[in-house]
Amino acid sequence: MRNVAIVGIGYTPVFVSKRRDVCIPEMISEAVENAFKDSGLTPADIDAIIFGNMHTFEGVNLPHLWCADYIASLGKPVMRIATGGTTGMAALHAAYYHIVSGLHDVVMVVTYEKHSEGDSQVGLLGIITPEIMAMLALGIDVTGQSGMGAIGGGSAGGISYQASSYLAHSGAGIEHIDAIAAMERRNAAKNPYAHLKDPEATAEKIAQTPLVSYPIRFGHICPTSDGATVCILASEEKAAKLADRAAWVWAVSNCCSDATTGNLIEGIITDPAEQMPAVIASRQAYERAGIEDPKKEIDYVEIYNGFAHQTLMFLEKIGMCELGEAHKLLEKGELEMSGRLPVNASGGVVSTNSIGTSAMNRVTECALQIMGRAGEHQVEKEVHKALAHGWGGLMQYVTITILADKPKKP
Amino acid sequence: MGATEEAFITPAIPMDFTYNYRIGLYMTRYLEGFKERKIMGSRCSGCRKIAVPPRKYCGVCNKIMDEFVELPQEGTLENFTVGHVVLEKGRLNPAENPYLLGLVRLDENASLLLARVEGLDPAEARPGMRVKAVWKDQVEGDYGDLDHFAPA
Amino acid sequence: MEGKVAIVGFRMMSAPDLVTSRERLTFELTRGLLDDLGIDRVDVDTTIIDSNDFLDGRTISNVFLDGPAGAYLRDESKVEMDGVNAVIYACMRILSGQYRTAMVVALGLTGSQVSPYLHIEYALSAHYDRQTRLLNELNSAALQARVYLAKYGYSEELLDEIAAQALGNAALDPYQARRISGVGKDEVAASAYYYEPLRELHCYPPTDGGCAMLLASEERARELTDKPVWVLGMGRSIETFYIGERDLAASPSTAQAAERAYAMAGVKNPGAEVDLAEISALFAHQEPLLAEAMGLLEEGKAEEAYRSGDTSVAGKIPLNPSGGALGGHPICASGLIRVAQAVRQLRGEAGENQVGKAEIAVAHGQDGLCAQQNAVLVLGV
Repeated sequence: MRNVAIVGIGYTPVFVSKRRDVCIPEMISEAVENAFKDSGLTPADIDAIIFGNMHTFEGVNLPHLWCADYIASLGKPVMRIATGGTTGMAALHAAYYHIVSGLHDVVMVVTYEKHSEGDSQVGLLGIITPEIMAMLALGIDVTGQSGMGAIGGGSAGGISYQASSYLAHSGAGIEHIDAIAAMERRNAAKNPYAHLKDPEATAEKIAQTPLVSYPIRFGHICPTSDGATVCILASEEKAAKLADRAAWVWAVSNCCSDATTGNLIEGIITDPAEQMPAVIASRQAYERAGIEDPKKEIDYVEIYNGFAHQTLMFLEKIGMCELGEAHKLLEKGELEMSGRLPVNASGGVVSTNSIGTSAMNRVTECALQIMGRAGEHQVEKEVHKALAHGWGGLMQYVTITILADKPKKP
Repeated sequence: MGATEEAFITPAIPMDFTYNYRIGLYMTRYLEGFKERKIMGSRCSGCRKIAVPPRKYCGVCNKIMDEFVELPQEGTLENFTVGHVVLEKGRLNPAENPYLLGLVRLDENASLLLARVEGLDPAEARPGMRVKAVWKDQVEGDYGDLDHFAPA
Repeated sequence: MEGKVAIVGFRMMSAPDLVTSRERLTFELTRGLLDDLGIDRVDVDTTIIDSNDFLDGRTISNVFLDGPAGAYLRDESKVEMDGVNAVIYACMRILSGQYRTAMVVALGLTGSQVSPYLHIEYALSAHYDRQTRLLNELNSAALQARVYLAKYGYSEELLDEIAAQALGNAALDPYQARRISGVGKDEVAASAYYYEPLRELHCYPPTDGGCAMLLASEERARELTDKPVWVLGMGRSIETFYIGERDLAASPSTAQAAERAYAMAGVKNPGAEVDLAEISALFAHQEPLLAEAMGLLEEGKAEEAYRSGDTSVAGKIPLNPSGGALGGHPICASGLIRVAQAVRQLRGEAGENQVGKAEIAVAHGQDGLCAQQNAVLVLGV
């Protein structure tokens, strides 16, 4: 299979709650311009474009059509990908397949979300709108514990079940969720593209934020951000000509579970903290990348953590540590930027979340760490191989991308 | 299939949400122009074409359209259709009366502007007719300020 | 293109109202297809779902479709555009060598919706077109129809003839939603105007429908079927959104998409080499317009082609022998159904609408106003 490299990354200048100064296509175009600047490429170099976002959050449909002029797409193949939280990485994977299929050489992935224009809770609740409607029609109370009023896809109600289950099984406590959230907000303070930053964040400070739904506190929850990320991928032949620095894609994988896993439509059928797709997808990615012992071979990890406990939970699921071990690594400081297994030096999704970009930013942040271009939030250890994790759907999708500092040997 | 329609629950519960669309710098300039009964466009620094309403990018040239230009109020009806239906909230309903919708060219380099055309029998409409902008009595920088075009 | 990809089977369904749920439709199509092929869901390496959140009324519309599609704990992704693009993505995944089989399932249910055009209203720019409320899918198509007719001096009667041919074909096709027999051009001309010159029967009907298709690598395809249909070429392109800046009487993005697909397939003279075309013409005028862009009809000769019967099932270049999108247009699934219809023809299984010799076929799908975005497949046996 052909080797594929990430050769350009462009973010909007900021990721914030509200971009009042730009419309959707204008905001996207900022990231497109930055990706061209970063890579030294021009629109003429791009063979195809992948466009990803979750349009129900803004109440817009098929924005790639009316943003076509702003994303250097005219005359090119454009593919729209939308898979919920994993959208950004699913779009990047589509770009990867555009290239490894041999059909295209240079592909640009455009992802964005402008949450401020719509109601994100409405967007999340929209995942189960038909079920809520049917329950209302049957006279079932959807606001109580037995219902789904607070649940939605990745919203705090449903997630609290996942977090409780995780704590019960792992031996971690709510204080560990506070601590990991604090670590990520501190990391975010060093990342110019992060949204919620607090250089002084501590577990104690997070512990003082209100409890939303046990054990999830306000300080454990991601914000809704306005922002866009663009990433340019190229085949090995083109990458050699186009960019003097690159991060190489060694493997991509994804796995989905059934939506009834971990939601309450028919009662809890499966443990929402089981996250079998993370186990399957990560194993498949390691196999594809030829990685035998991820604990030894992977230097850096970006976890999709809409909620802070997920950093710890998914580290275990993807085999970066033993089950129940993540909070111990946290206690020892090993997950810090200076640690043995640095995680989410970017601040993670819990600090910055414009949904279409969230899973993509996990990959671009891994790429920056590998290229040594993460600036203030560059981790101390050398990063040769990194893993990016994406999560979404009704708690059921996982995507994995493994990057390295050199092309994979055939 | 085999099931009858009655076998399914078909809830009809209306949902109304408010969205706050930011219109950006270019559309703001367009609507600000409306306050003075001006029609603004933006010119591409590459192909020199003018987009009406103005926007940031010319996708053909991949260039920023950073020059704002005021367009004449009179132009040519280049293409039109007579509507016998209206689409309201995704439903097709018959129109009370047939109405004209036209694509108007205000400058030979400008894009065609879609607008209602009034003041003539729809059956009399011909491509090439000269038409002029008709504004609402009160203009306030709203999309509806430029009410329609009428024969010049 | 290194390696080959084949279509090994399909299931499709459409009706004005299927009286079903998306989940059930997905299950019936995919399970039925697996049964047809004598395989199980674990034999499918990757699944591409194609649906639209706005259409389905669900954020992340695939969340409840993965299970019914048989993708539980397996590899799945979703595209959100016409189904021809989903086929192309599936082909890419197989060409990567990582997967041997790919299931594509697309569905769109607008026929049974109370507001079947709503999702298109939302697919306009939020900061302008949705505010002015002037532009929509139907009136932009009417503007396109008028400039197309004017360009060659055709009368509106041509639209009636095109629609009559399509509806005549659709009436004989068991998979179509709008099956009305005995509709000639006079009946078409008697249907009510939507936006002049387009009348009701010149336009696609909102439709419930879906299609599942299994694609496979060459080696696997030969194990699964005796009648593989090969994907020989693929091409896609998009043009600007703004109808006031487009050459509506031509479709440059379709021409580009077709050129790319032909180049990949080694088709040099499409007019002579292609045996039939299944074109996502949502409105009557788009059938000759898009066929011209794809080099299947000579420009300016549409009237002669339709009147002489060249475009009919028995003609020189049959266009939409299934009846095309005028016989049913389940958004997302529509282009996939065009592909499936082309496969039926190439396998010689198209029943009353079977064209004579069928070795090379073209299938086309579109998204956006006035076919802003187009995808073309060249298929062969």
